[in-house]
Amino acid sequence: MLEDCGAERTQAVQISGPSGTCIDSTEFERRIAFEDLPTAGAFMAFDESRDLFEVARNFVHFFAHESCGFCTPCRVGTTLLCNVMDKLQQGKGSQHDLNQIFRLSRLLQSASHCGLGLTACNPLLDTIKRFRPAYERRLESLEFEPAFDLDGALERARAMTGRDDPGAHLGADE
Amino acid sequence: MSAEGNAATFLLDGEEVPFEPGQTVIQAALAAGHYIPHLCYHPEFKPHGSCKVCTVEVNGRTTASCTLRAQAGMEVLSQTERLRKEHQTLVQMLFVEGNHFCPSCEVSGNCVLQAVAYDLDIMSAELDYMFPNRPVDASHPEILLDFNRCILCELCVRASREVDGKHVFALSGRGITKHLIVNAESRRLADTDIAVTDKAMEVCPVGVILRKGVGFRVPIGERRFDKRPISAQALDDAPRRPSPKPEDSA
Repeated sequence: MLEDCGAERTQAVQISGPSGTCIDSTEFERRIAFEDLPTAGAFMAFDESRDLFEVARNFVHFFAHESCGFCTPCRVGTTLLCNVMDKLQQGKGSQHDLNQIFRLSRLLQSASHCGLGLTACNPLLDTIKRFRPAYERRLESLEFEPAFDLDGALERARAMTGRDDPGAHLGADE
Repeated sequence: MSAEGNAATFLLDGEEVPFEPGQTVIQAALAAGHYIPHLCYHPEFKPHGSCKVCTVEVNGRTTASCTLRAQAGMEVLSQTERLRKEHQTLVQMLFVEGNHFCPSCEVSGNCVLQAVAYDLDIMSAELDYMFPNRPVDASHPEILLDFNRCILCELCVRASREVDGKHVFALSGRGITKHLIVNAESRRLADTDIAVTDKAMEVCPVGVILRKGVGFRVPIGERRFDKRPISAQALDDAPRRPSPKPEDSA
């Protein structure tokens, strides 16, 4: 298939749409079949210049946009997943956020009303499983990185008081 | 086994629960005094199945128990560690989706969302708050609408449509932008034909639809869920015919 479309340096293929399966180069020998990789007929090939984290982030935003909002897990869950992915993208994520993705994914797969919520996490789970470095290099620390910029929050107070001395900055006295 | 000996039953967490034909799992469970957490289900209305807080496991599959027809011999689980975590996350989702400040809310103690959260031992939201901007509607002389607390259960929508025959409320929008609206060109409650005696006035499980002038008439500490946890009040939510509106009996 990849040869037919002239794909080169392919690192991943998304079988079917965003809710399908994402496979990496070690799996290109797998078969398109109901028993192995079922497809609705669409493929997306990603070469090595693509960032699979950004692909997945785009997909979850797509699902959040598509959610009808009827049931709680999908309505709130897809948006929470977007927020987590955006946080990771900004370099503010931690191991906790990856755990949060797994926790939300399990809930969406278990409690969603229809197939949209059921499959909305597939792109995340597939890419974390196969392209984990794309996620982990966005974590400034695998332990903890506060999303809230405490020193930045003091900026207004500094502006109001006209201070910018070391004592007006957090961590300056360490 | 029931007195009849041949009444149809299913198993709920290992206990036998009798049911009448046509009843859903949650209806039969509540009628037998077994509590399953729920928010959008109401004993006088047709099950809706949107909040998913009543999710149970049946033969390895999970589904909302309010919309699942009871069948003889079913094995239903509602209290496994996994389901409990899911119930907690669903309720936490509803907390972070809106703006819920229990200490300053008039409905504290009567609020079903708050009661379910306490009952599930939820101590914090854990998820990131969304802090949506939802202005209140104080246009009506007798009724206040505080949309910040809406959990989109559609009970007021259903009550206004099915009992009051008025269609005062509706849900609008999709996905996370879904929100409760008022059926008036001005979008103000004052321009609808809602009355304080309407069924829609009494079904809100949270603190969206409030009667003006009677706030805190029942003091905090003496309210429905102050006395007993919601899980001890299952029978109150057993299926029943819609109660007559106050004006009918007057």
